[in-house]
Amino acid sequence: MNYPVWFVPTFGGGLLIALVAIIHVFVSHFAVGGGLYLVMVERKAIKEQSQQIMAFVKKHTKFFMLLTMVFGGLTGVAIWFVISLIHPAATSLLIHTFVFGWAAEWVFFLVEIVALFVYFYTFGRMDDRTHQTIGWIYFGAAWMSLFLINGIIDFMLTPGSWLTNNDFWAGFFNPTFWPSLFFRSFMSFMLAGCYGFLTATFLEDETARHRMIRYSGVWALVSLILSIPAGWWYLSVLPSPAAKLVSGASPTIKRAVMTGAFSLAVLAGVLIALILLNAKARIRCLIVAVMVSAMGYMGAFEWTREAARRPYVINEVMYSNGILKKEVERINQEGFLKNAKWVQHKEVTEANQLEAGRELFLHQCFACHSVGGFNNDIVSRTQNMSFGAMRKYLSTIHEKRYFMPPFVGSDAELKALAAYLTAGLHKKTLADESGAAGDRGKLLYEENCAACHSADSIKPKMKGWDLAKVRASLDKLPALNPAMPDYTAPAADKDAMAGYLFGLNHPGAAAPAKDQGATLYEDNCAACHSMEQIKPKMRGWSRDKIRAALDKLSALNPAMPDYTGTPAEKDAMADYMAKQAGGAK
Amino acid sequence: MNPANLIPVADTLTAPNGWFQFFLMLTFPLHLFAMNAMLGAGLVAFISHLYPGRAHRELSHELAKALPFLVAFTVNLGVAPLLFVNVIYGHLLYSSTVLMGLYWLAVIPLLIIAYYLAYIYDFSFKKLGNLAMFVLLAVLVLLLTVGFIFSNNMTMMIAPASWSRWFTTPGGSLLNLADPTLLPRYLHIITGSLAVGGLFSALYATTVLKSDSKVAEAGRKLGMQLFSWLTLLQLAVGTWFLLSLPQQTLQRFMGGGTVATMLLVIGILLAVATLVTGFKQQVLPTLWLTLPLVYVMSFMRDVVRGNFLAPYFNPTTVPVQVQWSPLVFFLVVLVLGVLLVVWMLSRLINVKKAA
Repeated sequence: MNYPVWFVPTFGGGLLIALVAIIHVFVSHFAVGGGLYLVMVERKAIKEQSQQIMAFVKKHTKFFMLLTMVFGGLTGVAIWFVISLIHPAATSLLIHTFVFGWAAEWVFFLVEIVALFVYFYTFGRMDDRTHQTIGWIYFGAAWMSLFLINGIIDFMLTPGSWLTNNDFWAGFFNPTFWPSLFFRSFMSFMLAGCYGFLTATFLEDETARHRMIRYSGVWALVSLILSIPAGWWYLSVLPSPAAKLVSGASPTIKRAVMTGAFSLAVLAGVLIALILLNAKARIRCLIVAVMVSAMGYMGAFEWTREAARRPYVINEVMYSNGILKKEVERINQEGFLKNAKWVQHKEVTEANQLEAGRELFLHQCFACHSVGGFNNDIVSRTQNMSFGAMRKYLSTIHEKRYFMPPFVGSDAELKALAAYLTAGLHKKTLADESGAAGDRGKLLYEENCAACHSADSIKPKMKGWDLAKVRASLDKLPALNPAMPDYTAPAADKDAMAGYLFGLNHPGAAAPAKDQGATLYEDNCAACHSMEQIKPKMRGWSRDKIRAALDKLSALNPAMPDYTGTPAEKDAMADYMAKQAGGAK
Repeated sequence: MNPANLIPVADTLTAPNGWFQFFLMLTFPLHLFAMNAMLGAGLVAFISHLYPGRAHRELSHELAKALPFLVAFTVNLGVAPLLFVNVIYGHLLYSSTVLMGLYWLAVIPLLIIAYYLAYIYDFSFKKLGNLAMFVLLAVLVLLLTVGFIFSNNMTMMIAPASWSRWFTTPGGSLLNLADPTLLPRYLHIITGSLAVGGLFSALYATTVLKSDSKVAEAGRKLGMQLFSWLTLLQLAVGTWFLLSLPQQTLQRFMGGGTVATMLLVIGILLAVATLVTGFKQQVLPTLWLTLPLVYVMSFMRDVVRGNFLAPYFNPTTVPVQVQWSPLVFFLVVLVLGVLLVVWMLSRLINVKKAA
């Protein structure tokens, strides 16, 4: 709300961050671990007096330099560019809090560049001892870069006691700092082994090639095994909401963890097979598989970390949409638009409701939801909800689904946002549907369930269920799927919803008559005229008059075919129409 | 719409503002030196391709070897000032960044391509033959484009009056082309950069490449000619830029502000002095005059920024909550880092001497 929003409807910013971050993470960790790998391999070459291995290190250094310094360095800058574009408020807060951490990291970046250039260009021209020292300086500086960035990144997930004292060091050495540092260090050594694998296969000399493949394999495998307890330690210190998200409360995070774990298993298997079975063959495709699974492991970890802090971008401090937690209460009272900088409508009126709603969407939802695009598409996620249901849903959105930030603003603003999400995006009517007794089950479903799954998508899952079973399942939703929150509503509401759900597979049996009337209207009349269109024509008509008209439609208008439904169907439709028209029964 | 209403609230500083100003003013000229050397070395190498003979070919080759280093240091030394700009002017910078998001992000792929092409130019110089100069031309065009994108952001962030265009064009496709200062400002800095880059090439030729006297001489001549003629041209471009500034800002340089006027006078005097030494092809005297000149120019740039922002933002009003220990930590790391760099370079020189 403090900043403008970069609005590319189909391409939400989150996806861009993820893309750049994962590419960068993969190269930058290599830049750290690879430094140690180079020094160690060089030492091995010196000890064993092996010309081939020394030639290999030199070649590997060139590859390393071209990849890490150009691509790694610039994608690092890219992350900075991307986050300041997509999360300007959060970037500003992080930069202001940790400016000297970042400044120190810049110094290490400088030392890295000088060390790597000197290391590469003096191969074979400098005495071994000094050359090794330069290599160690490179690794030390690169690891310190990791050390510093690690503190800042982990701060975003677990700000720790910084929340109360705003102390730089408290934020830096936060609860996940050490486990994450160990985990990342092992990851970086694992990646170094993987890249070593790749370049080793290009070695012409057979003996040297076998030795380096074996050496790189052991390197990667040992680091991989050591990373597992570090990762476990990391997960075990996560604060409760994040830990819950990771362990299943968020289906997408759980999937990432599963993918991560799966890749890890594949990777370990491939590595072991590779080393133990046949280091002699040129198994480049197998090595590509190693690289891909390593990327999966690492990517899943990064993605999980990013997702686990939802609904915050900085945990407990700032929501993903840039709103500070401490300001929510004040803004709720004063209104969001009044406090926002980059909006044209400072107040919601009857006339600007949709436009104001669009601005609210832009500033509160677009950070995570694209419009008809790839990630978290808002259009498909809102299509099952009516205006009334949306309003109720928005008012408790954070309580219902923890990883979504609360709506922040006045009641009128909430209504405007709901209007935009239903009438604006889907041309739905803005009528309040509360009070329609017969539709209650459906309404409750929309308010509580439809945000995640449409009625159509769960209909086949309940095939063959009797009413009692549907009703019983509503008492223990997490048993069906751990990602589902409990439905805490009075028994009567659950009964109504069960009736509606049961009716999905048994039309007519349990569905309330008024529901049926609506369906009949949709099926038989709506193609030519919507309810809105004929409402004025029925003004003042009683239910009986409507019922009678249904018997001879062609008399009303010769263009209309007569309705050939059964008397019961006509009754149902008449009930429905009378209610819509506001006529007495 | 009142532009002031769009300006985001600035976040709390963790050290007195003066420290950030100091670091910004210290590191930004370093970035300029590297950037100038990069562009100038590229241009001299390119022009050198147009001359026949071994000496000029060697000169191109030698500058080709330096180019990847110069790109690396330009990027690295750009990070520090950009960080401090983020601290002092972040709320303005992020706003204009969002407005031109597409172009801003394009900086990264453009740089990556330029960087790899610079390496191709270096590692495959002989293999490329005549093609080499076209690879180099591509590098130069890409880098100049990146510079243009930066000029747009740096001018747009100090012009909140242009920001309301976001309401109709929120897709990040806005540039600051309507600003009358943009073009002269961009040409001013590019002309200056290429001139200083020419000086760098002359310096490089007469020191690092001195073992081959013909190459050294070719580099010195070409570099100093480039420096002198571009600096002469700069008198015109600089005047254009100065006159394009809003009346109030211009006034400050014309006697209205003591510091601003003094900076301008010193700048002009230094520039004229470098013309004398430049046309005489004296490398070191020109260098000693140019080093302070670049600092003076970047101070003037800061004065311009301050004047543009005066109606909207006063950095001294930003709340401060001082924590000294992180600052001390940074200073210690900086000193250690510089010592390590000096030590490594000394080892490098030893190797060269031994060779």
